Amino acid sequence: MSELDPKIVAAINGENGEAQKAGTRKCLMSRRQFLLTSGLTTTVVMVGIPGMSEAETPAVVSTYPRKFIAKLSDLKTDEPFDFEYPDEGQFAESILVKLGQKAGGGIGPDQDIVAFNYTCTHQGGPLQGTYQAADKALGPCPLHLTTFDLTRHGIFIAGQAYQSLPQVLLEVDGDDVYAVGMFGLIYGRFDNLQG
Amino acid sequence: MSTPYYVPEESVPLPPVDADVISTACDYCIVACGYKVYRWPVRGGHNGGPMADQNAFGEDFPVNPLGPWIAPNQHNIVLHNGEPHHVVIIPDKDAEFVNPMGNSSIRGGAIAQKVYNPQTPTRDRLKSPMVRMFGVLMPVTWDFALDIAAEVGNYVLRKHGTNAYGVKTFSYGYMENTYAITKYALGNVNTANFTFHDTPSDVTSTPGFRDAGFDNFGPSYDDWAEADTLMMCGTDPYETKTILFTDHIMPAIQNGQKAIFMVPRRSTGTAFAEKNGGMVLDIQPGTDLPVVLAIARVIVENGWQDDEWIEKWVNNKWESSSGFGQGTRNTPWQWRTTWGKFQTKGFEDWKEWLLAQDYSVPEKAAEIAQIDVQKIYTAAEWMAKPKADGTRPKTSIMIEKGFYWSNNTGNTQAISALGIAVGAGGRPGQVIGRAGGHQRGGLRGGGYPRNKSPEKLPGRRRRAMDTDRYFMAGHTRLAHVIGTTWVQAMCGSQSLQAKFEEQTVRNPHQVMSFDKQEIIDTLKARADSGGTVVWDQDIYLVDPIGARYADIVFPASGWGEDTFTRANGERRLRLYPKFYDAPGEAKPDWWIIAQLSKKMGFEGFDWKNSNDVIEEGARHSRGSRKDFNMVLVAARREGKTLHEKLGEFGTNGIQGPVLMLEDGSLEGTKRLHDTTRKLPETGPSAGNMFNKKLTHFNTQTGKCNIQKAPWDLFSSYWEWLKPREGEIWISSGRINERWQSGYDDRRRPYIVQRWPENWIEIHPSVAEARGIESGDYVQVYSDRIPVQTDTIVGVEGSDFDFDSLLKNGHIELTKASITAVAIVTPAVKENLGYMDFLHTSQPANALSGRVVDWISGNYNYKMGVGMVRKMGESPYKSQFRSMSFARRDIA
Repeated sequence: MSELDPKIVAAINGENGEAQKAGTRKCLMSRRQFLLTSGLTTTVVMVGIPGMSEAETPAVVSTYPRKFIAKLSDLKTDEPFDFEYPDEGQFAESILVKLGQKAGGGIGPDQDIVAFNYTCTHQGGPLQGTYQAADKALGPCPLHLTTFDLTRHGIFIAGQAYQSLPQVLLEVDGDDVYAVGMFGLIYGRFDNLQG
Repeated sequence: MSTPYYVPEESVPLPPVDADVISTACDYCIVACGYKVYRWPVRGGHNGGPMADQNAFGEDFPVNPLGPWIAPNQHNIVLHNGEPHHVVIIPDKDAEFVNPMGNSSIRGGAIAQKVYNPQTPTRDRLKSPMVRMFGVLMPVTWDFALDIAAEVGNYVLRKHGTNAYGVKTFSYGYMENTYAITKYALGNVNTANFTFHDTPSDVTSTPGFRDAGFDNFGPSYDDWAEADTLMMCGTDPYETKTILFTDHIMPAIQNGQKAIFMVPRRSTGTAFAEKNGGMVLDIQPGTDLPVVLAIARVIVENGWQDDEWIEKWVNNKWESSSGFGQGTRNTPWQWRTTWGKFQTKGFEDWKEWLLAQDYSVPEKAAEIAQIDVQKIYTAAEWMAKPKADGTRPKTSIMIEKGFYWSNNTGNTQAISALGIAVGAGGRPGQVIGRAGGHQRGGLRGGGYPRNKSPEKLPGRRRRAMDTDRYFMAGHTRLAHVIGTTWVQAMCGSQSLQAKFEEQTVRNPHQVMSFDKQEIIDTLKARADSGGTVVWDQDIYLVDPIGARYADIVFPASGWGEDTFTRANGERRLRLYPKFYDAPGEAKPDWWIIAQLSKKMGFEGFDWKNSNDVIEEGARHSRGSRKDFNMVLVAARREGKTLHEKLGEFGTNGIQGPVLMLEDGSLEGTKRLHDTTRKLPETGPSAGNMFNKKLTHFNTQTGKCNIQKAPWDLFSSYWEWLKPREGEIWISSGRINERWQSGYDDRRRPYIVQRWPENWIEIHPSVAEARGIESGDYVQVYSDRIPVQTDTIVGVEGSDFDFDSLLKNGHIELTKASITAVAIVTPAVKENLGYMDFLHTSQPANALSGRVVDWISGNYNYKMGVGMVRKMGESPYKSQFRSMSFARRDIA
């Protein structure tokens, strides 16, 4: 079992279980439901939310692979590192970058290391090579100029993207950085894991 | 309201091969991109698969860039014939025009989120008529609500006169609805207390264009792309006409088009233009006119004007005075020319006037506008300097609200003259027009009774009533509000709201009964006592007009809930078919109006469906830029309904005015004022109408009027208003992500996450002086918001000039304040605070002066001043979940 950054969880689930109450989060399960469907062999992350009884506590159930990405000690501020996740298929190319400032979902001692998918969530434009160190942004997309804020879970700064840039969920184990999941649908796919 | 909370999804259902496919167009901005709705039943779990032969797109997943990808925001579940259905709504990948290959903005791209689904934040759609009893809006039957509305309506008309019945309505909400509304309000009620959502008076938005003879929407989208030089005033089309920019203008700039922006704020489109050799005339608010005239001056001083064009297409003295169509008599512009302020004897006379004005000297204009004077010279060169081979650059001019809502008459007069001088107006790639805001869904079912208006300006004609001033004076006893906030959408909105409060909820006559007759009697008593009763017709309960002030609420249906017709910014007419069930008892506006009209005893409202309405209305489109009467003729010939015939054009539509050729086929109109167009030699045979605007300009002679644009008609207001000690300009505009879609965006979790509250962009120098950082809550306030108070009869030429109004006691200074989240950015002019135009909870309009442009009667919404002070930190400053404070002008 691995620990999730509670801030990421808050960002995803809402700070007081808002998302669950809104009924929009499909992959949230109550602990009871989870227990009933146990037997999954993939990574499972349990998230406790204060003030909720255990049976209501949602869990993020992920079937994503746990993949080694880089050494923490090798990362330098504003020098992006490219990798593929969650598979080696189309649109899997992603960016790992140490922003040098605290960021939503950031890991490492300064909570400033984040990773995102490289494909624009508007019309699939490639964002490789568009990292803007001064603004901690990706873009503008060469197709229609969308820009994304990497300090804020990949929300678009300006432009036309239909959703935030999918954020790769990271965790640190000693000096190793692992990718363990994704938030948001990757462009081109109908399901992150099925293509 | 339910939690508008964005949660990223990681999968989406695919439409199966046999999904229903419905062609439609976007509900939002003027561009109206083509869309396809894929619909299939939830029952049976019969979704499509990732192989090409398993889904409705015939594509393997993952799809390629620009392919038919479905973002989770593009899927929803609706009721269709009472059964739950999946809908996937994506831009039409087969579109040939407007958004070729199926591009879209974030707004239209996420349009699937607008449809009613009680599991989403759309659950607060209005579902039943409501009547306020005991201070609470209570659900009632249609008959109960309409009986009250009809009896009180007739009573007010009889007892207090037709002008006591005010109608404030959207102008764009589909032709079926606007036809019914105007047939009722203008044709039958016949009130002069009538106007549209964006102006206090039913007047032209662009008086200078009208006088020059330009239609607002003459150009085609190809024309903007074909220009060598494109001047864009008061708008960044990337933010507000996205696909017009990304699919038409952006490729042109990449191919060498010289782009000139005139805006006080940089954004994505300006950044792209500057990176590719374009320029930004970064003026301070309200100073467009001197800069435009200075560019014109440089052009004529160098002799770069298009002499051949001017010789052939500009009216001389006798021509500009001729006729009763658009001469000096009996026309909307007649009084404007009475005093010789605008009219010229032709090009040479205009040139003489231009050269005599000190504010047209480039150095002087640059000083007023606070820009680099060299930019004026460069703009003049780009727009008009003949090339080495002697040919002229093809120059086009686009204007929009930042421009014509700053100095409405002056700016539009000045730009028309500049356009004429550079030969813009009637040739491919050489056009002048508006970029547009909302789509064009107006169809008049009645004429405005101008002579009933109390507005009388110096000269001989009346002007359409200023409905806000009339309301403020307490004359409006019944306010029938259709699809607009009224209050927040007008200037000086907080004092307007205070008056609404006084007229409605603070009137002693409040309904404290459940008995229909007692309710009627109470509302009559309120009207008799000088108060106001309010009917509100909308899709959501709007605060405050519906939530607080309405006595009756009628739930309306909208996009996708009935079959409608509308045109876009190049007059492209499309069908917007019904594809799902409206929530509860919600009905289309035409139906609501028809039932009310019948109960009030008016005749001619026996329509069975929306097609009946548009078929009746078709002949009223004749002579307009949307003329589609011949589509009806063709439909009847072919035994089809008008809706069926329009549907055959799919997302490509057909551009109005539509002509019928001799073989019975239909031909659209690519551009208006098309001096290169050859009309059929057989003439306007059968039902065809060859309006002058097809091949000529909208004047008596068909040539343009080149007019003067005096700065001093506006400068007294500008000088009085401009920031004093501690103040900055407070202006407003649109933001890409919520523009023409604000009513839905409050319910779209992703957009709410991006823009949870109103915000203000301020320059680092302003921020530093006040200790403000990005993410701080600031108070934006003013104690000198001018409000024009009285309806006066103009006698002297200067009676309506701001200085005279002030001197004669017709200006009251009011206070207002709104809260915003600070965004510190060098993208704005140093002395400018820029806010979202219509954030309904904290409207920037609260700070703009409620003083109409005294020539036209429009508000100059963009003109406001105020102070800014820090209140503390907003939650967005330290949270990472919402907003972004990064620059929007990254290139």
